[in-house]
Amino acid sequence: MKVALDRKRCEGHGMCETAAPELFTLDEAGELIAHFDGRTIPAELEEAARDAVRVCPVAALTIEEEA
Amino acid sequence: MTATIGSNVPRFELDLFSDENLTDPYPIYARFRAAGPVVYLPAIDAYVLSRYDDVRAGLGDHETFISGRGIGLSDEGNATRKGVIIASDNPLHDQLRSVLSERLSPKAMNVIRAEISEKAEALVAGVVARTSFDAVTDLAQAFPLTIVADLIGLPAADRLRLLEWADAGFNLWGPRNERNIRSLPVWAGLIDYIVTQATRDKLTPGSMGAAIYEAADRGVISHDQCPALFVSYLVAGVDTTINAIGNAVAYFAEFPDQWDMLREKPNLIPSAFEEILRIDAPLQLVRRYCVRDVEVGGSPIPADSNVVLIYASGNHDERKFPDPTRFDVTRNPVDHLTFGYGLHGCAGQALARLEAHAIFRALAKRVERFTTGIPVRRLNNVMRGLEHLPVTVR
Repeated sequence: MKVALDRKRCEGHGMCETAAPELFTLDEAGELIAHFDGRTIPAELEEAARDAVRVCPVAALTIEEEA
Repeated sequence: MTATIGSNVPRFELDLFSDENLTDPYPIYARFRAAGPVVYLPAIDAYVLSRYDDVRAGLGDHETFISGRGIGLSDEGNATRKGVIIASDNPLHDQLRSVLSERLSPKAMNVIRAEISEKAEALVAGVVARTSFDAVTDLAQAFPLTIVADLIGLPAADRLRLLEWADAGFNLWGPRNERNIRSLPVWAGLIDYIVTQATRDKLTPGSMGAAIYEAADRGVISHDQCPALFVSYLVAGVDTTINAIGNAVAYFAEFPDQWDMLREKPNLIPSAFEEILRIDAPLQLVRRYCVRDVEVGGSPIPADSNVVLIYASGNHDERKFPDPTRFDVTRNPVDHLTFGYGLHGCAGQALARLEAHAIFRALAKRVERFTTGIPVRRLNNVMRGLEHLPVTVR
């Protein structure tokens, strides 16, 4: 499973950081850092990743299931 | 339309916007949710989504449920919002949103955080010192009005007029009823104000209002689009936050155990605000226009139909929120629907949170108990909140 970040949509609300701090952090300038951008999410973090996608208020995150 | 009514979509012959139903819409929402994923209201010729998952999915599918044909239930009301961001589809929406989010995103809030906190402390200290006050007019209205008007850069004398305009703007989301019709001339007054009085030279330099015109100078938007963006600032950030703060005081008074918990653990304040937004959404619903035949939960919605998505009903959906009528400041329901979701998710939600958290913190420091008198509800087609809430604090 991967999580795609639509950077154009992201406004830095930070809900994903609260839900999955291992996967997402806002830097000091308020820009989102996606630690697994383009990479497969480790199995133990998949649930947190789904939470992060769910709480994004502007739908900037989407799940990409891998075959 | 007639073709699908033959299907098994439940019909409700009722006026969702009558005084009685606006006073307490939640029992009706519960009937909608129980009846099926989609119900049809002939009075407004609209299909209604009332369950959490369906409302959220509908908001997320902005290509099926579009906004550009209007987000309200009357043609006259929709005509007043031509070119306004909330009633726009892409690419126009993203173009307009970029101007707002540059100033309203959480990172933009960092610049004004300390100032908003100071203003909240000063306002709350003043009303608490009086012991008895009106939690709506003296607190819930006074705060966002000042904050929003300062941020937009409006002349001080014009601020109280924002209340009347916001009320009219939200009545114009509803169907063509008495509230809607009487709001049209009030709205005309707002447009006249924007074009002839709140002109660029009157706005505080560096304000969000001035930034709209600067964005036009840079070519991000055209100068013709400036009034429509101004409308969003003037209307969207006032009634919404006001009602949330007024509702909050009412809930804190009714549930002293919850208030005690907040005072003891102020780090619950963000969670408490989300719960206030969930349990009684200021903005109750939105209309979309469905552009293709779809099924929601197995029920058909035909192309070219009105669809009403009821945020406040999704927020009370027992499938999503166990014991939904219970007020619980520890619930932290961050994925409630009160700010909408997706493309049109509230652009000002970071500001709303900043304002409310500052007020809650200031109250928690100073108020042990709220005792309220008889609240007066203000009826609006889509906006739910109080007109007056007499309160005594100790």
